[in-house]
Amino acid sequence: MNLNPPLIIASGPGGNGEYLKLINPEYIGAYTLKTVTLNPKKGNLPPRMRDKEHFVINSIGLENPGINHFIENIEKYKLNVKTILSLGGDTKEEYIKIAEIIDPYAQYFEAIEFNFSCPNVKKGGLSIISDKDEWEEILKKVRKILPNTFLIAKLSIEGNFVETSSQIVAKHNWEGITLINCVRGLIIENGKVITGGISGPILKPISLRAIYETRKKLKDIYIIASGGIYTEKDADEFLEIGANAISIGSALFKDPNVVEKIGKYLKGVKK
Amino acid sequence: MENTYLTKKDVIKLNKDTYIVTFENIKFELGQFIMIETKNLVRKPFILGTWNNHPAISVQIKGKGTEYIVKTQNNIKAHFPLGKKFIPPSGKGMVIISPTCITLANLITKEYNCDVLVGSKTPLEYKIPFEFATGDVEFANKVEKLKKYDWYLISGSKAMENFVLSKIESNNIYVSLEEYMGCGIGACKSCAVFTKNGVKHICTDGPIFRRDEL
Repeated sequence: MNLNPPLIIASGPGGNGEYLKLINPEYIGAYTLKTVTLNPKKGNLPPRMRDKEHFVINSIGLENPGINHFIENIEKYKLNVKTILSLGGDTKEEYIKIAEIIDPYAQYFEAIEFNFSCPNVKKGGLSIISDKDEWEEILKKVRKILPNTFLIAKLSIEGNFVETSSQIVAKHNWEGITLINCVRGLIIENGKVITGGISGPILKPISLRAIYETRKKLKDIYIIASGGIYTEKDADEFLEIGANAISIGSALFKDPNVVEKIGKYLKGVKK
Repeated sequence: MENTYLTKKDVIKLNKDTYIVTFENIKFELGQFIMIETKNLVRKPFILGTWNNHPAISVQIKGKGTEYIVKTQNNIKAHFPLGKKFIPPSGKGMVIISPTCITLANLITKEYNCDVLVGSKTPLEYKIPFEFATGDVEFANKVEKLKKYDWYLISGSKAMENFVLSKIESNNIYVSLEEYMGCGIGACKSCAVFTKNGVKHICTDGPIFRRDEL
């Protein structure tokens, strides 16, 4: 992928292009859509989000209309920036089936990211990589179904050493990896336990380490850095440690102009 | 939709922990809301209304974020207007609210024929042009004695809304819902509400819903 600036709106917080009403697309390299699964998902019951000092915790649960509805309305998802499609599933069969369904439409997207790390669903998501053989079969078959698509695996630091998971992705000739997804977390609010995925500045050192370790093992894979990028300095650090592009999620909630500011910086100063 | 700085005009203390904050130059329609920056990571939603002929919100201090909105001398960043316009049915309405929705109630009375009842947990420290009740007992008594209206709008805490809903009967009841929001623009899906017509989102389908839909 050749993105200018090397800045991507992360899947999830950015929705399906809604932030283009608030951010100048000139400063966005690519926009990742919300994860679409084979079947529609209603998502999790509230509470779905909270924020505390230095982090956001969310439990959206991949609410989406399903791949058939997505395809029927595909015109609506065509944005005026390069677009990355995010796909997910509950089972091996669902990941393979959704790849087959999207094949005729893959050309519309700059890349397709497969979400192997959502912490907020009971099946699929993060748990899909716990069975290494099954996960490898998904990687192998999806590669075969989509031979000309720039394929990205979105990984978590959980379930396996992230550099080991990344090596498995590379072994099956996928072009890219997104490091890292939210990490499972918990807060207690008025005595009630709220679980979800943690994002925000608290993730930055964890994500930096994940990218550092992965880049040591894999010189050529395209790495999209995700986790706590809120400033130009954050972006610099991730790119210096070995990321090819940075991805912004929860910072959108603080101020959409954060993206524009970092995008301008990457497009100008860092050109 | 704008993402810009707001200029604060006045801050008026309403009760122990709730303040009316007025601004200059915000364009919006009845029922819409605004996402305002806080010192925390995520902007917070406030329903818009008017006070002293200025755009206004009512803020209950619950933590550092809301405290910042009330106390900062700086201009505050926000994006707005968000959500759907509210158009009540014809006839006379009754607006039953907590102090956090008083600016909304004020705006409705300017545009539509309605009465207002404000239920405040703590004594009001500022004179308001509406009927009010202090504490749960007085509020409950006043709700139970309400005459019949053509439509009702209820806006407050979930407990307050549930209590009022248990006491009134009408085909025209509207409820302003509150849920944690990340974006306010339909992107993040954090403010989901499970309705009879499927999953809706307070930020794009509300914040005011018909009760019979919920």
